[in-house]
Amino acid sequence: MTRLSGGLIDRGTTLNFTFDGRAMTGHPGDTLASALLANDVRLIGRSFKYHRPRGLVAAGSEEPNAMVELRTGARQEPNTRATMAELFNGLSARSQNRVGSLGFDLLAVNDLMSPFFAAGFYYKTFMWPKAFWEKLYEPMIRRAAGLGSLSMLPDPDSYDKGFLHCDLLVIGGGAAGLAAALTAARAGAQVILADEDFRLGGRLLAESHALNDAPATDWIAQIEAEFASLPNLRVMTRTTVFGAFDHGIYGAVERVGDHLATPGQNVRQTLWRITAKRTVLAAGATERHIPFANNDRPGVMLAGAMRAYANRWAVSPAQSVAIFTNGDDGHRTALDLAAKGVTIAGVIDTRAGARAQGDYPLFAGAVVSDTKGRLGLKRIAVTREGQTQWIEAGALGVAGGWNPNVHLASHHRGRPVWNDDLLAFLPEPGAVPGMVVAGAANGQGSTHAALQSGAQAAIDALAGLGMTAHQPDLPRAEDAPVNQAAFWHVPGKGRAWVDFQNDVTVKDIKLAHQENMRPVEHLKRWTTLGMATDQGKTANVTALAVMAELSGQSIPATGTTIFRPPYTGVSLSVLGAGDTGTHFRPRRLTPTHTWAADQGAVFVEVGQWMRAQYFPRAGETHWRETVDREVLATRAGVGLCDVTTLGKVDVQGADAGEFLNRIYANAMGSLKVGMVRYGLMLREDGHAYDDGTCARLAEDHYVVTTTTAQAGPVYRHMEFARQCLWPDLDVQLISTTDAWAQISVAGPNARKLLERVVDGFDLSNAAFPFMACAELSVCKGLRARLFRISFSGELAYEIAVPARYGNALMARMIALGADLGATPYGTEALGVLRIEKGHAAGNELNGQTTAQMLGMGRMVSTKKDSIGAVMSRREGLTAETRVLVGLQPVDASARVAPGMHLFTEGGAQNTDTDQGWITSACYSPHLGSMIGLGFLANGADRMGEVITAANPLEGQSAALRVVSPHFVDPEGGRLRD
Amino acid sequence: MLIPHPLLGPRDAQEFTYLGDASLLNRPDGLADTAPEAFNDYVYLRDNPAGLHRELWFHEQGDRSWLIVTRNTVTHEILGAELARDVALAAMGGAQ
Amino acid sequence: MTDLTPIMALGGQSARTQILGALTLSETPDLALASLALRRGTVQPVPMGLPLPGPGGWTAGQGVSAFWTGPGQWMIEAVGRADTGIEQALKHAAPGCSVTDQTDGFAAIEITSSAGGAPIRALLEKLVNLDAAGFGPGSATRTGLEHMTVFVIRRSEDRLAVIGMRSLAGSLWHAVERAARHLQEGTQ
Repeated sequence: MTRLSGGLIDRGTTLNFTFDGRAMTGHPGDTLASALLANDVRLIGRSFKYHRPRGLVAAGSEEPNAMVELRTGARQEPNTRATMAELFNGLSARSQNRVGSLGFDLLAVNDLMSPFFAAGFYYKTFMWPKAFWEKLYEPMIRRAAGLGSLSMLPDPDSYDKGFLHCDLLVIGGGAAGLAAALTAARAGAQVILADEDFRLGGRLLAESHALNDAPATDWIAQIEAEFASLPNLRVMTRTTVFGAFDHGIYGAVERVGDHLATPGQNVRQTLWRITAKRTVLAAGATERHIPFANNDRPGVMLAGAMRAYANRWAVSPAQSVAIFTNGDDGHRTALDLAAKGVTIAGVIDTRAGARAQGDYPLFAGAVVSDTKGRLGLKRIAVTREGQTQWIEAGALGVAGGWNPNVHLASHHRGRPVWNDDLLAFLPEPGAVPGMVVAGAANGQGSTHAALQSGAQAAIDALAGLGMTAHQPDLPRAEDAPVNQAAFWHVPGKGRAWVDFQNDVTVKDIKLAHQENMRPVEHLKRWTTLGMATDQGKTANVTALAVMAELSGQSIPATGTTIFRPPYTGVSLSVLGAGDTGTHFRPRRLTPTHTWAADQGAVFVEVGQWMRAQYFPRAGETHWRETVDREVLATRAGVGLCDVTTLGKVDVQGADAGEFLNRIYANAMGSLKVGMVRYGLMLREDGHAYDDGTCARLAEDHYVVTTTTAQAGPVYRHMEFARQCLWPDLDVQLISTTDAWAQISVAGPNARKLLERVVDGFDLSNAAFPFMACAELSVCKGLRARLFRISFSGELAYEIAVPARYGNALMARMIALGADLGATPYGTEALGVLRIEKGHAAGNELNGQTTAQMLGMGRMVSTKKDSIGAVMSRREGLTAETRVLVGLQPVDASARVAPGMHLFTEGGAQNTDTDQGWITSACYSPHLGSMIGLGFLANGADRMGEVITAANPLEGQSAALRVVSPHFVDPEGGRLRD
Repeated sequence: MLIPHPLLGPRDAQEFTYLGDASLLNRPDGLADTAPEAFNDYVYLRDNPAGLHRELWFHEQGDRSWLIVTRNTVTHEILGAELARDVALAAMGGAQ
Repeated sequence: MTDLTPIMALGGQSARTQILGALTLSETPDLALASLALRRGTVQPVPMGLPLPGPGGWTAGQGVSAFWTGPGQWMIEAVGRADTGIEQALKHAAPGCSVTDQTDGFAAIEITSSAGGAPIRALLEKLVNLDAAGFGPGSATRTGLEHMTVFVIRRSEDRLAVIGMRSLAGSLWHAVERAARHLQEGTQ
């Protein structure tokens, strides 16, 4: 096949590409689809279920059949519609869904088996025996199903995202969209015009109609020139608006580099989130076909697509072409193709009174009832008044009428409304607030009507924003009325495809009807109609009409078809639209991160934070060896740990104390200036929420800490209390978590070490006792805060300096403390130290526990009202007997693991006999065995008892002795020395 | 969704954290004799209307204001938003 | 003056700078920050001669500037004064207000354009969900950027500041740099 005349391709440039390894050529302006036609390729793929040979059906994004694997290597992309792939030099495409060659597909045996593969086949067949599903049926179905294949390699390209805001978003760059954008942009509105094609014009590019007696491209060029001069208009081609979300938010994908040989050199695709005050939907219409027996052979396509290929791309699928139509539109295709020198073998018009509009054989009142040609169409059967004759035709264009592209208008569940004059569903007016629909998408499909309605839609949309726009001078254009007769499918015995991509035939719909799967929603699920990657763009309305006929109801009574996002497939890569790997999510680094990294620390993710987990030294071969050393060094000398990650909130105001009284279970208003108090927060339902410390720096100034994990939620909770519950209190809150580098200095030598950094501050026990705090200076004038608090049970302090000095302070203290055994420790040792001391942490404060369970029931003050206090006293919570205990194995070598459940020794192990569970466990170098913390029923009264901890899932069991949770220094003497 | 912030204009809902029914503003007196019953209602009993709903949103990635947003839960239409603090203060003024 | 040596939020001894096409990204050294909140009954002050802006605003005075952060709350900026005790100075200048030093709480990236406002607008579109056209000089707001919370300040037509939590400085820089690089490559 040679090219026809004309077309919007650059014949001066040749592009080389391959299809299934065959070298071919095309031109800039081609899609892969048009280039394949130009190279006489009609067989492009195999169907999903029956592996039937398939070719192009459409010319745009509605294409159900022609899906290929594009590119090679890591960029291999399955299920690319050949109609949407712009041709570039070096493009490599392969057919998919075949076993063997495209011409001889081994799984085509499925086609012979088709009586067994009818609708509902999977539901009925693979039900039993039950055990077969997992081992046999599912793997088999999975292997046979699916279109195309993935490279299994990481995507090498980068994807981007962005946010756009505008007064008016115009979706679709055809006649209506161009008129709308022009009208609105001239009025000075901020306008975005988006179109999925790489060239503006929409259907104007596919038709031969003149605008003002000149080719439509002349007018488009003139409009584009004006567009370029309007800074308030942003034209986005290759951009698919795929979803209409709440309040004028639209999702769009711009294919920035998909048309380039190396797409990811810059950005391959960009995900845009567009916030539009108003929208004009000018998405055009999609032609529908008319099912008849064997209507799926390569060469049978939509007549409007055939016209587009001829007019825009100068190709025809065959030298001799027939048209099957139920209206005037099919005749247009015949005329346009004939004008390009294509032989018209006949126009088969279902209307008895149809007339030929040119010099071609007409079969009025006739239908196409069958086809022949194994890998491509050769003959069609034309039946008129019971008489059938076969005529030769290499391609058949089918014109069954046009379905407005209502998709985005139904994304808010707007139900399209049937229009009997147009034989089509139109968008429900106002279904998407702020959206006006224009042009063929609204049933105004003549060029004249599209232009006029586009301009009017823009005027109406802007009027809603108080802006005045004026109708521009629009070109004279054709204004042919819609002349068609309802005709939905050709009855007959052979299989007539409705949904090509999912291999759903008229027979399947009949079966669904027989089995009472009649509502559209049931029909869809029973037959999988419209559930393929094309979402049934060319199938749904036809299927509905067939079901209506079978049930003897009208189409609107049968149902309607609505769509959900996305309009066309969106890659997961662009939905992620960001970094992978290290920068997949933000990482928070502590102030001493650089220093810790220099020490060879191993880091662990704690939420967003990267914290030093442990600091291995040369010769240490196991993390436990390192952690044991860090723990023992801390208890023997002094250990240093960056604890910046704990949330810090600055609380100021005349009523700061009263405010804290109300959000903590225990009293904070009575705290003396210069002192710190442990604080427990409850949720309003009475459960423990979070814990931390409150330090009173001044009468009207506290600094409170939260756990690392809850820093954000607790701050939000405090703001809720401040703004919503007690707005009358004079309190100001601000987070200072990142402002201060906070380092824990713990161990018997802690005071000695700190004495070497403070600027003449008296650290003696008398001057600065346990739970004291102060603002002071360190290292010759650096402002600092010091808190004498302990999480390890040792003499301990936390020192805070401005974050940028944290790194240097840590290095300084380690250096100054060399003779005191100063040792950095990480989160593992921190955990061991706190478990040995019996301090509750996230494992114990898990949202299911109460103050009473934590052994802090008496902390909940009854003298004041505080959040959660009332509910903590309810019967259901006070009757709880499980309390925090320490657990030590009888056999020192036994393993203790968090999550183990606790049972009476020798007793049954089931949910009825369950007495609690282990929350935290570690190896304690102090005790020389593993230890645990857990909640045990009546635990306080069971000191010394031996119980069983079990993990029945893994067959683990250990005999544990119930002890105080304070394994180290239970009297707390070390803290206070 | 867009939340019409009373001070900052329409802002993307992604900046906000949702809490729930605005009745959470009406916290009972914890020292009253009826506190147990009152708190049971306050913590656990909510209307779940199909239609207009006054609900709490926190402008977490914004000015840290708690807002009371009136939203139609059927259509997602938002009819307005107020600073929760103003509402709470007004309620206190009314009660006094 | 302390004998400890501070480091920048990005971990270096000195501020990081990078030029990407028309845009120059710079880590701001020594930017003093302090939050200011009105207390019950306080009259809105004019600290250091600076009229405090309304919601969404940023105002600049002599060596100091301020942006609105919430009802009755502002952040005061003073370039080059990180070690001069801005907290005390501000407390003095705004009596009866709650003041908290935030110098080390944040990391600031200043972005300047050598080609006018267009590259700044293009960058804004890639970073934050704000109406870039409506976010002119004197605008400041807090919003989300790649799952981080940031202050964005349009200091002038060709100048933008992005201020994020100090611990996130590396991720913030990466996000801004990546967007700027994509823009640079897109215009080549």
